[in-house]
Amino acid sequence: MLSHLVVGAGLYFGDSIFYVVCFLLLMWIVKVLAWKPVTKMMQDRADKISNDIDSAESSRNEAADLVQKRQTALASSRSEAQTIVNDAKTNGQQQREQIVTQAQTDAQTLKQNAQKDIEQERQDALVNARNDVADLSIEIASKIIQRELKADDQKALIDSYIEGLGKQHES
Amino acid sequence: MNDGPVSTFQFLGLTFSTANIVSASVVFLLVVALVYFTSRHLAMKPTKGQNFLEWLIDFTNGILKGSIPTKEIGGFGLYGFTLFIFLFLSNELGLFINLSLPNGATIVRSPTSDPITTLTFSLMTLMLAQFAGVSKLGYKTHFGNYMKPFKVWIVISIFEEFTNFLTLGLRIFGVIFSGEMLLGIIWKLAVSHGIATMIVAVPLEMAWQGFSAFLGAIQAFVFVTLSSVYISQKLEVEE
Repeated sequence: MLSHLVVGAGLYFGDSIFYVVCFLLLMWIVKVLAWKPVTKMMQDRADKISNDIDSAESSRNEAADLVQKRQTALASSRSEAQTIVNDAKTNGQQQREQIVTQAQTDAQTLKQNAQKDIEQERQDALVNARNDVADLSIEIASKIIQRELKADDQKALIDSYIEGLGKQHES
Repeated sequence: MNDGPVSTFQFLGLTFSTANIVSASVVFLLVVALVYFTSRHLAMKPTKGQNFLEWLIDFTNGILKGSIPTKEIGGFGLYGFTLFIFLFLSNELGLFINLSLPNGATIVRSPTSDPITTLTFSLMTLMLAQFAGVSKLGYKTHFGNYMKPFKVWIVISIFEEFTNFLTLGLRIFGVIFSGEMLLGIIWKLAVSHGIATMIVAVPLEMAWQGFSAFLGAIQAFVFVTLSSVYISQKLEVEE
């Protein structure tokens, strides 16, 4: 039963050629159908993964940079706000002082004006009163004179009076 | 198994064995179907078939990387991949399908249970190794390797090529052939004395079939591993 195993006795060399042709054809088919596209896909995937790792790394760095920038910006804006508040305070202080000074000056001026006015009015009032007194005196005097003029006995008194008035005016 | 009449035919003055031709064609079609149906709809995110195919490619590439430097693998990847699938399916085919003509001649069995098949593949591997050696190192360095470490070594080197050729081919043949033969013998035992032997032999047959399936996978693996070793030997300059 093992007779065909004797080398050269039962070997069919045609088969050998058939196998070689068959196998080469098979290799070509496998290459076209599967090997090329699949290895290409595997290579693409490997590239993609390494790219993804790289891009993840770079975007992580970018994010860290951004955080750094944000923090710096935040710190600077905080100090800026502090400066603004300080300026505002100083300005407010200055303005307050200015206003107070202004108000004091104004009040002083007003007071002086008022005093002047009062003085003026007092003078005016005095002048008026004096004029009024004079007028009244004259009126009274004239009335008295009109009534008493008839009495000739009073004539000497009136004369002396008028004389006294004249002296008073002269002095 | 191979002990019945053998169906042969003549073509262009060469003798062909029908069993080998038919079995090889079956395996050929199986391999084409396998790579065709698993390589449809290739995508960046692999699906079932693609996953399997990529696993297989990684597996055979892994075998080759064991002995050949990664940057020199190149086309050997395709060779190893095709060889592995072809041998694996060849080894398993005869375990599950064994068809005979009415006159008793087998027409479908494992192609690898015939030494002509395995020796053809063995010869192919060694020729590829020679070709790779010459194309990488040039004729002078390549054949100079036969005379290292000293000139008389050439006898041993040539003899070694011959034994490599025989052991590589006959190892796989022996395992697959004996596996199939034992399956046949156990089956004959099973049908020899009716139900009594059937009860004993059928579990034995199943166990042996499982073991042979395992051995078939191991032999395909070993064949590809040794092929890569022989190829890698020819790619380097001996000290």
